Amino acid sequence: MDDHLTGILSNIGVISFVALSAYLLLLTGEISFGQQAFFAIGAYTAGIVTAMWQLPFWLGLGAGAAAGGAAALFVGLPTLRLHGLQFAIATLAFAEAVRILFELFRYQVVRAGEPVGPNGIEGFRNIRYIFEHDVSATQFMLIIYGLLGMTLFGFFLLERSRLGVAFRMIGQDGLLAAAQGVPVFRVKLMAACLAGAIAGLGGGLYAHLTTYVEPAIFDVMLGVHSLAYGLIGGLGTAFGPLLGVVIDIGLLESTRWFAGYRMIVFGGLVAVLLIVRPRGLLDERLVHRIRRLVSRRPPPAPTNAAVLGEEPS
Amino acid sequence: MIAARALLLSLFVVMVSSASGWAAGVKAKAEVSCAATAKPLEYDCAIKLSDARSGAALTGVEVTVGADMPSMPMAHNVKPVKATPGSEPGTYRAQIKLEMHGDWAVKVDLAGPVRDRIVKSMRFEPKP
Repeated sequence: MDDHLTGILSNIGVISFVALSAYLLLLTGEISFGQQAFFAIGAYTAGIVTAMWQLPFWLGLGAGAAAGGAAALFVGLPTLRLHGLQFAIATLAFAEAVRILFELFRYQVVRAGEPVGPNGIEGFRNIRYIFEHDVSATQFMLIIYGLLGMTLFGFFLLERSRLGVAFRMIGQDGLLAAAQGVPVFRVKLMAACLAGAIAGLGGGLYAHLTTYVEPAIFDVMLGVHSLAYGLIGGLGTAFGPLLGVVIDIGLLESTRWFAGYRMIVFGGLVAVLLIVRPRGLLDERLVHRIRRLVSRRPPPAPTNAAVLGEEPS
Repeated sequence: MIAARALLLSLFVVMVSSASGWAAGVKAKAEVSCAATAKPLEYDCAIKLSDARSGAALTGVEVTVGADMPSMPMAHNVKPVKATPGSEPGTYRAQIKLEMHGDWAVKVDLAGPVRDRIVKSMRFEPKP
């Protein structure tokens, strides 16, 4: 496969994690502008584990996801009692605080005669696991899509579970959900932790894909995009945010049809879709219709009476 | 379910192959400098590659140069271009076309006898 195509597909796969993370919170009716912070925490943690501590890659990814989830728990505890705009602003403030903290974060060790590790605004370079262990670009892309497939399978199970129903109930009406006995705060906290872990996992993959991270990567632009992917693609299914990523990175960015004007086209697309289809392309109604079409059973076999041409009495 | 099983199996194969690990290769070091050309947003980049440990010039390497905007990761990617070897050993040249001026992370990918990636943060300004 062409290296450029492998790179684009890998990018689509990695950014899908942060889009899915924002989507999970959107399901509970909360808009977060701060999922990029957990992506950053996952990226730095995974990088520290593999490049500095020389531990296995899978441990790095696991640590990245765990750190993302733990950070989400830490932020969720005080902020998830807020609603709507207040919650959105709180997440944005947290994400910016994290980005600035990473600008100040210096922690380096010497590996093979060279300093390795986060170096403030300079970022964290030489996360060279895939080169040191000769993992090809295609192999790494398969790892990304394998983990993305597992995450989507998790969403598939979630949508069919009581927890998934509780997420959507809270998303529709938190007060009504509470009246039905749903522990709203606890369920929301669970959604935030899962979302943080998904973003952290994506961050770990990103750090190893690009081999470097710097605080500028994790600014609000990434948060706004990850939120927009779910809103464009649709909130009816976990494939919605993926469709949003494919439209943006796969179509607008990679084809260069709108080179230089991409952000204008993307912004316009978000605005139009929010008016025409407020819950995105793959919204709940369309997903329900597709499910009915797919699961439609064949008409029942004719009875003996019908075959013999007798009128039912 | 069959698709899910196939996916898990393929992931397991990749995990095993990537976890086995081959010998660590050469760590490359690069000096990159880019100068604006007469055409707007086009930059001529000179790259000097060496072994980070021994300092020896890296020759016969397949070099590809791309760029990424840190402020919008994974977007505004510059399609990587192949660099051509220069007259001196370890030197390469490539011409990249950016989408806009500003801060970019220039990615130098090495393939062939040495496989590595070096990322340099650079600011690209219009030609004075």
